[in-house]
Amino acid sequence: MDFKLRALLKSPWVFHLSTGSCNNCDIEILDCLTPRFDIERFGMVLAGSIKHADVLLVTGSCNRQSVERLKRLYEQMPKPCLVVAIGECSLSRGMFIHSYNCPKPLDKIIPVDVYIPGCPPKPEAIIAGVVKLIEKVGGTT
Amino acid sequence: MTSQGLTREGVLKDLEERFRDCIVEVFDKSPKRVFIEVKPEPLVRMANYLFKDLGARFNIASGLDTRSHIEILYHFTIEDLNLLISLRVKLDREHPAIDSLAPSFEAANWIEREMHELLGIDFNGHPDLRRLLLPDQWPEGVFPLRQDYEEWDPEAIRDRGV
Repeated sequence: MDFKLRALLKSPWVFHLSTGSCNNCDIEILDCLTPRFDIERFGMVLAGSIKHADVLLVTGSCNRQSVERLKRLYEQMPKPCLVVAIGECSLSRGMFIHSYNCPKPLDKIIPVDVYIPGCPPKPEAIIAGVVKLIEKVGGTT
Repeated sequence: MTSQGLTREGVLKDLEERFRDCIVEVFDKSPKRVFIEVKPEPLVRMANYLFKDLGARFNIASGLDTRSHIEILYHFTIEDLNLLISLRVKLDREHPAIDSLAPSFEAANWIEREMHELLGIDFNGHPDLRRLLLPDQWPEGVFPLRQDYEEWDPEAIRDRGV
């Protein structure tokens, strides 16, 4: 495995991006940071700027306006990086698949490493997904 | 005149008398809800009377594409009476156009821009009829909330890949 990537995953800094979601997935992501689930025990911290982030969490159905911003953020992200799609909307656009404003799913726009399905996924599912991601890359949890 | 001391019946009777030539139909749906169908030309005058003289609050406007017409509903609430008055305007499907309410009150500005781009309704006298929600690469003359809207983007993927 990529040594640089593995070194990052000791303490992945996470950037949270909503591309037009209903905010339910975002609430579940915030839940992960509360003391009850406490995702910081895996070293994960929310980063305020994309330039400090190692992992990009994407929620929402990628509408035409936010796709431009998503591409711009992905370009600004230091590489190597990982992308996590959270929720049905960012996986396949869910109920918005025929919407005039959501032409493509997230994984046709940028490469996605982990898919966490659910509408919204429980915090346990998000933690399980992220732990699987770290194990896949070869870091230790 | 403010809404102090007004009753529901008084307001409706006053409107019917004052705008007798403009009102097509009054539909008294429930104690809290009245629909008044109005001709397009005198709408601005009537909305101004509701907003400025009766002290009604302009909630929102909603656009509809029906089989025969394109409709706009302007929703006004008179809070003291707990009454929601919706002014319904029917416009021609081919060239829907109406006078803008944005010069009268600022709250109408963005919703008219939204109806302009999503339904293709022209608002005469609007101060700034630019795009509000749709992206820049969206083609001119394609209105996504019309009933006859068809997919224009050849790159759009509409199956789940399973």
